[in-house]
Amino acid sequence: MGPVVTGAGDGRRPPPLDAVQDEIVAEMGGLEDAMARYEYLVRLGRALAVPEVGIRTDEHALAGCQSRVWMRGELRDGRLHLAADSDAMITRGIIALLLRVLDGRPPREVLEADLYFLDRTGLRTHLSPSRANGLGAMLQRIRSYAEASAGE
Amino acid sequence: MTDRPTPLSTQDLHALLDDPRVQLVDVRPIDAYNGWRLRDEARGGHIRGARALPAKWSEYLEWIEIVRAKEIRPDHTVVVYGYHEDETERVARLFGRGGYERVRVYHDFVDGWCADDRLPMERLPRHRHLVPPEWLKAALSGETVSEHDGGRVVLCHAHYRNRGDYEQGHIPGAVDVDTLLLESPETWNRRSPAEVRDALRALGITAETTVVLYGRFSFPDNADPFPGSAAGHLGAFRCAFIMLWAGVKDVRMLNGGLQSWIDAGYDVTTEEGERRPVEDFGAEIPGAPELAVDLPEAKEILAAPDKNLVSVRSWPEYIGEVSGYNYIEKKGRIPGSVYGDCGSDAYHMENYRNLDHTSREYHEIDASWKRIGVTRDKHNAFYCGTGWRGSEAFFNAWLLGWPRVSVYDGGWFEWSNDPSNPIETGIPEWARS
Repeated sequence: MGPVVTGAGDGRRPPPLDAVQDEIVAEMGGLEDAMARYEYLVRLGRALAVPEVGIRTDEHALAGCQSRVWMRGELRDGRLHLAADSDAMITRGIIALLLRVLDGRPPREVLEADLYFLDRTGLRTHLSPSRANGLGAMLQRIRSYAEASAGE
Repeated sequence: MTDRPTPLSTQDLHALLDDPRVQLVDVRPIDAYNGWRLRDEARGGHIRGARALPAKWSEYLEWIEIVRAKEIRPDHTVVVYGYHEDETERVARLFGRGGYERVRVYHDFVDGWCADDRLPMERLPRHRHLVPPEWLKAALSGETVSEHDGGRVVLCHAHYRNRGDYEQGHIPGAVDVDTLLLESPETWNRRSPAEVRDALRALGITAETTVVLYGRFSFPDNADPFPGSAAGHLGAFRCAFIMLWAGVKDVRMLNGGLQSWIDAGYDVTTEEGERRPVEDFGAEIPGAPELAVDLPEAKEILAAPDKNLVSVRSWPEYIGEVSGYNYIEKKGRIPGSVYGDCGSDAYHMENYRNLDHTSREYHEIDASWKRIGVTRDKHNAFYCGTGWRGSEAFFNAWLLGWPRVSVYDGGWFEWSNDPSNPIETGIPEWARS
């Protein structure tokens, strides 16, 4: 399934991708222990904007996640706009980080991004295998949106 | 909570031992909990009633979720103990941060508790067959190691049609074992005794060899053409089962697989391990035929009141939503099988593993089986689609020292291939209420 293509862009330009990654690495690096990192993700999860109605459908559901995850990608003005939601707060927190880094960028930039923040924050290495699997599924979906958009 | 909680004395702790409001937490490595004497303590194992929560897990983002899943509640008085005071106190502080108000520490486990035979301890009966990376490293370097009678050790890096998994990095000295050497791609059952004998001989394994197996977990994706190629550690359990059946007397699994080796800070290599083939296996194969069950016996098990056929499959497979495999068409379950929930799908065993891929705290496995009537007094035959997950569950029961455990080798693949075998689908009666 390719992304929905619409003409409406919000004109927002995200800061350089690596700057955002470095910012996250610094934020999480300052957290003293697993509880602090957990609370950080839960806080981000609570603050994540609820996507407009309609995302929690089978069409947008991701397989391979421990909690339920829905995701949608739209190409507007040459940029990939992502929306996602989950029924688990910590997963919403992870979604918030992914969106902070990747949302609103040209598909090519998304495809070429080296997402080192996932390793440096322990997000990839210190998640339970089922959540890590879910993270992989989310990344894969974002990639497939970007791939489908890159050719348009 | 203060920064340094007052430690309990051995006497204080003993007095609290049977208090239901108290929960002991063991933060040592899971292998120490299981019975390995990693600090040369007088007795191996853990204080009776303690739950395993290795300090290593406090690096995981979801630490508090593990705590809750273990039903360690905020209204408990939590008593934390370990090998090192700093580690114990670090986890105790984490409990405080997680909203636990009554947290105590105990610092005298090795010299106070283990050394006194009168104080109760528990251990996994066959823990020596679930080895820690430290033991493996020492054994490979030829040192005299505990829990081993000496003799040759053959280390096997298991994979399924994926030699690249071995080539990209393995434990020094390991040889690669494709599961296809031991199981047939036609039936997915164990190969014939002669084929297994030849495979073992080529690997340098006799009935007397100590074999240690492990694999790599690399996030199998059920949508891949060969998801099993990414489920190496699960494949290693499969090989362990077949070797036990063949009659290898000392089969061991590296607890947690390659991940544990890496987590311990040890190097992997791309240098090929040397195979030293042997002339003779040294015993008739199978040496332990009772460990494998085939279709006729599976049917007898279903009909017997003191026997269980345990379906180590996922819920979508059990209720017939999916077959679980891209090469199996039929969906559903064997009527009368007991649901032994593996986790998310045919290539995952979350319900039998800790989050670092070590085998799940054995009391938890025991308790989850007890809830479905899978107990040590019965003959329990574990199965799945083609035998991998069944083998891992089997191995856990075998580690518990249960006397009558086996793998129904054919599993769903064999059962569903014969149209005369009945099939059930849908949500079973017991799950509806």
